Amino acid sequence: MKVVGKNVRKVDGIALVTGQPVFTLDVTPPGAVVGKILRSPHAHAEIVRIDTSKAEELPGVLCILHHGNVPRTPYTTAGQGWPEPSPYDSFLFDRKVRFVGDRVAAVAATSEEIADEALRLIEVEYRQLPAVLVPEEAIGPGAPVIHDEEESRGIHDPQHNVAAAIDIRVGDIERGFTESDVVVETTCEFPYVQHVPLESHCVVAYLDEEDRLVIRSATQVPFHVRRIVARALGVPLSRIRVIKPRIGGGFGTKQEIILEDVAAALALRTRRPVVMKYSRAEEFVAARTRHPMKIRIKLGAKRDGTIHAIEMDVLSNTGAYGTHSLTVLSNVGSKTLPLYNKAPHLWFHGKAVYTNLPVAGAYRGYGATQGYFALEVAVDELAEKLGMDPLKLRLANHIRAGETSPIFEKIGEGRAGKAQVVKSCALEECIREGAKRIGWKEKHGKKTSEGRWVHGVGMALSMQGSGITDIDMAAATIVMNEDGSFRLLVGATDLGTGSDTILAQIAAETLGVAVEAISVYSSDTDFTPFDTGAYASSTTYVSGGAVLRAAQEARRRILEVAAAILGEPPESLDLEEGHAVSRGTGKKVPLSEVGHRAMYVTDQRHIIATASFVAPESPPPFAAFFAEVAVDVETGVVRVVKFVAAADCGMPINPALAEGQLEGAIVQGIGHTLYEELLFSPRGRVRNPNLFDYRIPTAADVPDIEVVLIPSDEPTGPYGAKSIGEIGINGPAPAIANAIYDAIGVRLYRIPFTPERVLKALHGKSMG
Amino acid sequence: MGIKRFHYARDVEEALSLLAAYEGRGALLAGGVDLARGLAPEVEGLIDVTTAGLAGISADGGGLRVGATTTLEAIRRSQEAQGYLGGFLAKVMGHVATLPLRNMATLGGAVVSAHPWADIPTALVALGAEAVWQNEELTEKASVEELYRRPFRAIFRRALLTEVRFPAWDGAFAFEKVARNAGDIALINCACGLGLDGEGKIAWARVAIGATPHRAKRLTAVEDFLTDEAPSEELWAEAAHKMKTEVEVGDDMRASAEWRRSAAAAIVRRALDRAAKGVTGDA
Ligand SMILES: Cc1cc2nc3c(=O)[nH]c(=O)nc-3n(C[C@H](O)[C@H](O)[C@H](O)COP(=O)(O)OP(=O)(O)OC[C@H]3O[C@@H](n4cnc5c(N)ncnc54)[C@H](O)[C@@H]3O)c2cc1C
Repeated sequence: MKVVGKNVRKVDGIALVTGQPVFTLDVTPPGAVVGKILRSPHAHAEIVRIDTSKAEELPGVLCILHHGNVPRTPYTTAGQGWPEPSPYDSFLFDRKVRFVGDRVAAVAATSEEIADEALRLIEVEYRQLPAVLVPEEAIGPGAPVIHDEEESRGIHDPQHNVAAAIDIRVGDIERGFTESDVVVETTCEFPYVQHVPLESHCVVAYLDEEDRLVIRSATQVPFHVRRIVARALGVPLSRIRVIKPRIGGGFGTKQEIILEDVAAALALRTRRPVVMKYSRAEEFVAARTRHPMKIRIKLGAKRDGTIHAIEMDVLSNTGAYGTHSLTVLSNVGSKTLPLYNKAPHLWFHGKAVYTNLPVAGAYRGYGATQGYFALEVAVDELAEKLGMDPLKLRLANHIRAGETSPIFEKIGEGRAGKAQVVKSCALEECIREGAKRIGWKEKHGKKTSEGRWVHGVGMALSMQGSGITDIDMAAATIVMNEDGSFRLLVGATDLGTGSDTILAQIAAETLGVAVEAISVYSSDTDFTPFDTGAYASSTTYVSGGAVLRAAQEARRRILEVAAAILGEPPESLDLEEGHAVSRGTGKKVPLSEVGHRAMYVTDQRHIIATASFVAPESPPPFAAFFAEVAVDVETGVVRVVKFVAAADCGMPINPALAEGQLEGAIVQGIGHTLYEELLFSPRGRVRNPNLFDYRIPTAADVPDIEVVLIPSDEPTGPYGAKSIGEIGINGPAPAIANAIYDAIGVRLYRIPFTPERVLKALHGKSMG
Repeated sequence: MGIKRFHYARDVEEALSLLAAYEGRGALLAGGVDLARGLAPEVEGLIDVTTAGLAGISADGGGLRVGATTTLEAIRRSQEAQGYLGGFLAKVMGHVATLPLRNMATLGGAVVSAHPWADIPTALVALGAEAVWQNEELTEKASVEELYRRPFRAIFRRALLTEVRFPAWDGAFAFEKVARNAGDIALINCACGLGLDGEGKIAWARVAIGATPHRAKRLTAVEDFLTDEAPSEELWAEAAHKMKTEVEVGDDMRASAEWRRSAAAAIVRRALDRAAKGVTGDA
């Protein structure tokens, strides 16, 4: 390999660090106006009357939209593949508001100040409805019905506030537990946490010279934006163009159509370019969050440590709308249960329920993060009850190459899945290597104290997927220029992960050129081929698969031309260092000559190749996580002293970028494990919608993190690659929980592990 | 309303006359770290006092004088501050916010904003620091502790804090803070100081606690308890116990009163231990 497997520089790195105008709002069209949203002050209310006359009189106000003057088409804001698995329970503007911060109206005005003033001048009369903020109460008797509208579709049980439900059985769970020698049962809780991307949601919408609607948006899913906006506004898809510039981080929250629909509606109405962006407060209140969950898990095992039965019972809070409700819920089981595939008896069931709280959605890890917190804490408890080293228990039970799990077939993307045999798995090596690096043997079970700081170590395993089987599809186009350089056009959306670089590496390797010979363009629904988008850990595997195929096809066409020049059969030629080279004679011709000849000289043609790739399966990456913590037993403060992650992402296309994904995910995970949590007033208002009160990790908080990639060769992946984007975030919560237990003998089941919670648990123990 | 005018005050007199001229609709601006988080709606004029020639740090016998517009980072790095009480004050600054904010925020701004959760007031109250301010008529001074008992917000609508004076102490201080992560404000903080007499007994003790979540206060009952005793681990534990009964704590979004009570005792014990080691040269 010349390019793949190398730490080549990010193709967009220089532009980013030199501050080039690459982001959505770096350029605004002339004559742009500002769009702003009026938000509900109530958790649940009906809009009885809305009077915009005063606001409309304000000079500079161009347009006000509300439920009375827009189409009422139910749709989902979840940017997912088709068929859309999330319920159609959202409207551009509705007669009802369902959480504090829900959309009431939108204004377009010539300045931000005027838009703000206009929002103040809109008079809204609400009839407050009883609100429900607790998932258990939402599905209890007499709870207010949050989605009582007739038009919504795809809600599992609107009368009982159940957005989605799942019930999957394998074997006979009752028998499974009866036959088990040891059973543990645990309930873990995951609160409301937010993605906090550096760049908040933002969009510019305008009509081009042909009156087509152009939406320039910081989105992970440009093609879904086009489809969903077309539906919501009743505009033909052919009249919409979505451009995705560089994205300043997303982590899943930009897999949502949150602003594009409103900005587009305002642009259509005013015929002016409309700029909209979320403030940080809006980002916290009205973007998306991780689904808060309560997960009860029961594990049964034989005396020898073979896990025999697993029950997982999930209560997921989807907030006011059901975006990603079913698929995140499904993932809690589908991404965790196959890890311990020896268990013949499984029962995975749960509900995603509506509450009058902010809307949950896609967030890196996508349900697996919540699932692994519960599963891996329970496995630790099981090991203790069995009197086994938790590392050995995991080694005895985890899935290996050549094996399968019935779950692959049972749970898919909002429907049944597809049988799959794991073809690559280096998890065992990951466990052994990680254990060595953290010093598992020396440290586990032997808590050491340095004054008030007590140290302990804990571990957790995880797998994820690589794209969504039979749904995720990507296409790529390779265009050869006459100088032997290439354009790579992809619909894939690099949201800061470095995927443009990786795709360029795959193309460069296949075409025998340096990365510099490839210029990547992503993405524009008018000019780049379709891609489902950046989510579900899909880009390297799915989009990379498409690039590989397109590059192979381009290579075939290049060799045809080169063969004519060299007078040798194409099969005897290779592409190397910018040349077509004969294996037999060593004769060679530069690609510039090939390109020039094809374009201008003989048998003219443009060498262009487009290919598609549909995920035939979703090969899981694997990881073993190890944390060493120090707990201050007097204040309850927890410090992560060291964190080790050993991961198998197949063959890493760009090891530095893969390691960066792991490190970033771990730091993000440490944030939710130790301090992140959205807090609510009794009336459902977010109390800490800012970075002063809601803390996220900074560079100064990053502990000693050691990541190591243990390669495996995934036969279905481009150059053996699998995914790495999400898996890292599944480790910190359970590994740290288990390390805290190792240190102080107290189990914590609810993150974040604040000093307060740790101390309370410690005191509870000493009192008991 | 919004800001209509911005002034650079060339000296204290100009700052004061501008402030008077605005009749309550003007505000003094130092680092702006706090003001930027929200201005009173009636404010029309901002008067930048960082140009008034107040910045500077100088040793004053065994004590220290710090001009009001001196930035927190300048204090942290200054030789004079590092020479004062073994660098205690400089080290406290290292606990405050983040470097970019410390490069802007001033000591005067910290004294006047007087956030209950802040660290600087706790240190200043423990140290017995004295605030010096001027209004159009006169110059006044009072200990920061005393200042906070007065209607100080009203005072500084008409006056300019010019300097903070730190007295000499024969002994040592230590500071403790518990926060959620780097750069966060305190869930609880404390500053403790001790001095020993010729026989190794505690000649004086200063114990201040902040972010309880109320503004920094001294706990004289704990100080009295310590005075004339011989330093020992047991004594710190007893003092911590006393602390638990004396300290006034409350709940807020960040932490409960119950946790604060336990944590306050823990950090006071530690700070006393560290201060004592500073005195005896153990640290
Ligand atoms: C994000 C953040 C984190 C923080 N973290 C900490 C922390 O960890 N620990 C801690 O102790 N503190 C912390 N603080 C508080 C910080 O120390 C103070 O906000 C800062 O010192 C204010 O100084 P300034 O110069 O920026 O004041 P400004 O914002 O300029 O002014 C603040 C107030 O003081 C008045 N004022 C300023 N100077 C004078 C003067 N000379 N005379 C009269 N009035 C004056 C202003 O009119 C205004 O009312 C934090 C603040 C922020 C915003």
